[in-house]
Amino acid sequence: MNNTIINIENLTFEYNGHDVESVKALNKISLEIKKGSKTSIIGRNGSGKSTLAKAINALVLPTEGRVLVAGFDTRDEDRIWDIRKTAGMVFQNPDNQLVSAVVEDDLAFGPENIGVPPEQIRVRIRESLESVDMMEHIKMAPHMLSGGQKQRIAIAGVLAMHPDIIIFDEPTAMLDPEGRHEVMEIAAKLHKEGITILNITHFMEETLDSDRVIILDRGRIALDGTPAEVFSESEKLASLGLKLPFVIELANGLRAKGFDIPQGILDETALMEEICSLGGRHAG
Amino acid sequence: MQVRVENLTHTYNAGLAYETDAVKNVSFTVDDGEFIGIIGHTGSGKSTLIQHLNGILKPTSGKIFVGDTDITKKGVSAIEVRKRIGMVFQYPEYQLFEETVAKDIAFGPKNQGVGDEEISVRVREAMALVNIDFNEYSQRSPFELSGGQRRRIAIAGVLAMKPEMLILDEPTAGLDPKAHDDILDMITSIRTNTGGTVVLVSHNMDDVANLCERIFVMSNGELVMDETPAVVFADEVKMKELGLGLPPAREFANELARRGLSVKQDILSIEDLIASIAAGLDCHASLAMTATDLSLRAKRGNPEDTPC
Repeated sequence: MNNTIINIENLTFEYNGHDVESVKALNKISLEIKKGSKTSIIGRNGSGKSTLAKAINALVLPTEGRVLVAGFDTRDEDRIWDIRKTAGMVFQNPDNQLVSAVVEDDLAFGPENIGVPPEQIRVRIRESLESVDMMEHIKMAPHMLSGGQKQRIAIAGVLAMHPDIIIFDEPTAMLDPEGRHEVMEIAAKLHKEGITILNITHFMEETLDSDRVIILDRGRIALDGTPAEVFSESEKLASLGLKLPFVIELANGLRAKGFDIPQGILDETALMEEICSLGGRHAG
Repeated sequence: MQVRVENLTHTYNAGLAYETDAVKNVSFTVDDGEFIGIIGHTGSGKSTLIQHLNGILKPTSGKIFVGDTDITKKGVSAIEVRKRIGMVFQYPEYQLFEETVAKDIAFGPKNQGVGDEEISVRVREAMALVNIDFNEYSQRSPFELSGGQRRRIAIAGVLAMKPEMLILDEPTAGLDPKAHDDILDMITSIRTNTGGTVVLVSHNMDDVANLCERIFVMSNGELVMDETPAVVFADEVKMKELGLGLPPAREFANELARRGLSVKQDILSIEDLIASIAAGLDCHASLAMTATDLSLRAKRGNPEDTPC
């Protein structure tokens, strides 16, 4: 059994500007995403992250190469709803993706469009809202909710389509610290439940619990590995306009002061334990 | 120029079932040249508050003095107020519309009746302030530029109106880490170069803790704290209750302290944290050392004989 859920082969996407030369937003990208994995995609503004996400969701079609989502080719117009059912997207601005005046209606919108029978829609709405812990807001107007709550409704809207994959395109960029935390907790929970997660972000901290981190630069893959592997390349990251996550920057800073901190610590609690244990055995 | 707000209240949907006080009885004074940060969770009233400062919203009650002028009075020209207080909204690059960078930056001062010669001087100055090369970019279309560059151009358009107070609402949202740092450096240098007052609205605790001299904390429409970063972030419990939290370095330091390691109690930046952990570890180690080990400690340059 093949456990690849997204297969990107030699994907190039060119924007055709009217008075500028065409720009290759994606340049010969090849990538396989494993079913059930969590992948973070980072890179500077304009590196091609969002275009890649849209290519997986068939919002943009390849200029060259192809994208297969659960075996469906995004160029196949007859499969477009199969693809969008399989791979749902959550965007940056929660206000741009909620369509109805009541939470419940908003969640019904997607399943209704694909012909799910009404009684099943009700079940799906309930399950999705419970999954993002928003059941008590079922009758609320979305504009009365906080940013984090709106994003949770947007996620519930995607869940109501029973997707195998959720693509988050900077879902926390506009949220306050609490909202950001809520959304990331939910992404982690859905990953545990077996959904394949792609998270596009500018917050390095959000990538640490991923199985894989991919860095895009000028439409190409610049680095691809586990978080520990990718964030060990601090100079390359800086040249790509990126930073180290706090926990790694801190560990590096202490190492530079002569302390014996092991490489590859990605978790704050683990680093704290390491520091406390040094309290007894630091030799200078 | 001093800005003074007295008992400002703003009620949305007054008289309706959804009547809410977005801003409740807020008072403060900001002096010339201060660097203020405003934090608060979504819906806490930050945006409503700042929109009063340059006359976009009128208060339900209360007064706002810009210099000596009460801008809530009838007959006060909004254009005059906006000359003095410049506002950079969230995602300001979406407001760019002109054919060239220079024309876009000139739009504000032109509307304010500034003469052509003065405008061209201001466009050059504003571009220098946002660190975008005049010769290379002034005649290009803003739409050919990167996201971070477009945002700078939009900020330059506000600076060209020569405001005495610059208000920025989440100026780094959606930017990559390098562009984020570049914008913050730019804000610091604008302040140094113009001597003006800066008000930064942000969800990033690290940024406000390390840049601003004074922080306004908003919650449910009220100004619940008006203190230095050191005082604001000393109250971990309260900051968490308010849905805000601490800068990551402070959060980490507090947790280390709870685990019994000696770290300083005023940490706001990762540099401070690294230095303090290093000093703390040296201190712990030195307690365990015998007299003959003291030379080692001297080699590490532990400065004082302070107890841990």
